[in-house]
Amino acid sequence: MSKKLWGLLALLLAFMLILAACNDGEETTGTDDGTKTEEATPEEGTEEEAEEPAAEDSDALFPLAVDNDGTAISGGTLNVAMSKDEPFQGIFSYVLYEDAYDDEIMKYASNSLFTTDGDFLITDEGIASMEVDQDNNKVLVKIREGVKWSDGELLKIEDLIQPYLIIGHKDYTGVRYDVDFQNIIGAVEYHEGKADTISGLKKIDETTLEMSFNKLSPAIFSGGDGLWGYAEPSHIIKDIPIAELVESDAVRKNPVTLGAFKFDKIVPGESVQLVANEHYWQGKPKLDSVIIKVVPTSSISVALQQGEYDVAISFSASKMEEIKDFDNIEVLGRQELYYAYLGFKLGKYDFENSVVVTDVEGSKMGDVKLRQAMGYALDVEQVAEVFYNNLRERANSLIPPVFASFYDESLEGYTYDPDKAAALLDEAGFKDVDGDGIREDKEGKPFEIKFATMSGDDIAEDITQFYLQNWKDVGLNVTLTTGRTIEFNSFYDKVQADDPEIDIFMAAWGTGTNPSPAGLYSKTAEYNFSRYSSDFLEETLTNIDSPKAFDADYRAEQFRAWQEYMAEQAPIIPTMYRYELVPVNKRVKNWSIDYTNESHDNLQDVELVSDTAVKSTK
Amino acid sequence: MWKTIIRRILIMIPQLFVLSLLIFIMAKQMPGDPFTGMITPETDPARVEELREKAGLNDPWYEQYVNWIVNAAQGDLGKSYTYKIQVSTLIGERALNTFWLSLVSVILLYLIAIPLGVLAGRYQETFLDKIVVLYSFVTYAIPTFVLALIFLFLFGYQLHWFPTVGSVDIKYDPGTFGYLWSKLYHMLLPAITTALLGTTSVIQYLRSEVIDAKSLDYVRTARSKGIPVSKVYSRHIFRNSLLPIAAFLGFTITGLLGGSIFIETIFGYPGMGQLFISSLSSRDYSVITALVMLYGFLALLGSLLSDIIMSIVDPRIRIE
Repeated sequence: MSKKLWGLLALLLAFMLILAACNDGEETTGTDDGTKTEEATPEEGTEEEAEEPAAEDSDALFPLAVDNDGTAISGGTLNVAMSKDEPFQGIFSYVLYEDAYDDEIMKYASNSLFTTDGDFLITDEGIASMEVDQDNNKVLVKIREGVKWSDGELLKIEDLIQPYLIIGHKDYTGVRYDVDFQNIIGAVEYHEGKADTISGLKKIDETTLEMSFNKLSPAIFSGGDGLWGYAEPSHIIKDIPIAELVESDAVRKNPVTLGAFKFDKIVPGESVQLVANEHYWQGKPKLDSVIIKVVPTSSISVALQQGEYDVAISFSASKMEEIKDFDNIEVLGRQELYYAYLGFKLGKYDFENSVVVTDVEGSKMGDVKLRQAMGYALDVEQVAEVFYNNLRERANSLIPPVFASFYDESLEGYTYDPDKAAALLDEAGFKDVDGDGIREDKEGKPFEIKFATMSGDDIAEDITQFYLQNWKDVGLNVTLTTGRTIEFNSFYDKVQADDPEIDIFMAAWGTGTNPSPAGLYSKTAEYNFSRYSSDFLEETLTNIDSPKAFDADYRAEQFRAWQEYMAEQAPIIPTMYRYELVPVNKRVKNWSIDYTNESHDNLQDVELVSDTAVKSTK
Repeated sequence: MWKTIIRRILIMIPQLFVLSLLIFIMAKQMPGDPFTGMITPETDPARVEELREKAGLNDPWYEQYVNWIVNAAQGDLGKSYTYKIQVSTLIGERALNTFWLSLVSVILLYLIAIPLGVLAGRYQETFLDKIVVLYSFVTYAIPTFVLALIFLFLFGYQLHWFPTVGSVDIKYDPGTFGYLWSKLYHMLLPAITTALLGTTSVIQYLRSEVIDAKSLDYVRTARSKGIPVSKVYSRHIFRNSLLPIAAFLGFTITGLLGGSIFIETIFGYPGMGQLFISSLSSRDYSVITALVMLYGFLALLGSLLSDIIMSIVDPRIRIE
């Protein structure tokens, strides 16, 4: 066996140790209805050393698409590895699934009606297009003629209405029956059993659906406000009782879809075989089939080296070190819709009245200079470089840069500057009175800040200790809530309940495709964990989703105002953005992860240039 | 004896009842619940609360317990919060996988361990014995995941002798011969790994039993009657030496459903070990309680089985 392999083996064993020791924190976070998810912050493995992936410009760290030339073979099977240590759940229905991995599989056989642009706003390119009548709070959804399900049945307006009838039903047990959904006229009556249908959904003709809403906001273009972006095959499932749907074969074994591929075989929890859908509206795919397999994270790198898989999804960026020398793959990368943050508790949530009670004056972290100083004191740059190999980077805003029109790139962010942090603390009156190197509070009494952070693998511990040291360097005595890092469930339990033992906390949000911050920062939002609210903040948040914001420029302007205000007040300080990596074998042609032009939306064009996958020579 | 067995079975009922009470309370004591992971800003917290209410998680624990135990007594263990299917179906799927894998492992284990143990005992202090002892120490010392990874890389990815992930190849249809073969083929590498690592205790017990037996009266009698050495070993000593192994056989049988988190994770083999761990971290109460009850029952059954087996193989032991 070559030396190289032994080295790799040793590395993998090291990872396995980590995995074995603390595997679980991250796996449970996967509730995702294509919107937003909270995430266990530091969940990825370690790196041996910090090697620069040789690029200054962070946007160009990785290519977004492969450019493999060569003559394509006819047909072929695309082997997809889903890097994951547990079986998938196998709920293949957009209204019912909860785990993001099921969504990953469904992307190959998607029932998605709309396509989106770079800001994730709905375009006219998809199966359906929409006309928004802002004055009357109505939306017309038009579908293309002649679009067929994978079983040959024509796509009907009933198929568009069907998902609403499922989500709104009283027996539906998913999370998607929410405030947004109730925005559809008649949804509540239907849910309560007072009506057999949802009155706000009207079939105008064979290709047009009219939807009536209580109110409309610009979020409708991001698929919000209650609009549902997927069709369900009503000819198959309309007679299945809602309560039994999730266990039915129509969802588990042979779902009918609109996507480029259709489900052929499913081994529960392990693998899925999909074959080309001859009825696909963009044309029959050039590939014959796609096989998706769950591959344990401990062996994914070797599997890629051996050319066992053509594409690896949910590949952990921390394994970049292991695969960077392989010459049979190209690693694509893009920034995720994600930011990690440091939060300050500035009040409590009144669960009775569902409202945030901000008490800046009465909070230990009430002084804005103190909060800013704590932001400047953190050497996030070094953490990104050393622990994450630059696959994360310092965040400057609460809107990830992917949302080009809304992201404020001019924000400076809290770049590491311990001198500035110290100066701010001096200014605010936190001085070291007794000369022990630790600052006392404004009255000269001992000052201790309680910090809650999530456990994960061993770098979670290392990073935590590093941050504690950062704060100590500027004279702040920060200690861990409960004395150690906290398990995921307990963490959110405590943060949500405004545990008095928490002054500051670190977590992350996956922001989903609707950038509206109202759900996380408004006065009524339960997930406004810092419990910070102000008149200006409320006003800006309202403006962002107001009728006036149908004017894109105005909306963008309000987004910027909000980002700047949050940066200045610092109730939440964004710390890091994250990269998502997708290794692709060199025999794959036309694969792209560009958000505006993803292969998942154009699977009919994907081809292979050889019968067998390429092995790495290294 | 039958009376005793029936009494032992009857006594299991209160034992399991106490276990169910304990596990139920402890599961509820864990921070968070199955809905904690559903914190999504665009989800109405009120909806999550509604789901929690619907699932009965807001009721006092004793009401939840009574509901659960009444249903459980009727065979309804509830639905998994994570997988959204009946717990019995879910466990059934995984248990089947785990059962076959463990069975193959155990068979391989005995195939390796018994000859080695007997030979080591018979040829005590020889080179062969030393090799066997060394082998058992080495395999005892190697952590499961280390050997599993080495085997996977060597025999799976390098030599391509064995499949690398999953429990079956998707290209076969259930019920065909190819499907069954594929299932067995997928089990082999994890089973061999497990078997090699589990041999130590069997080898050591057998070895020392054989060594002890060599100097016992009945062996000397047999030898003095003129019975050939090999026959003394294969008939007389062998049966007696198996006693300590028989003592564990009950547990071995019921342990077939235990599963190994390492093996399952490394070989991507969906089994019971993984199910248990992941249900704990996702607070999948219905699965947690069902699994603990199952394991509790199996442990009790295992000890009963062991006693019964002992009384069969060793006539001196009687269940009173």
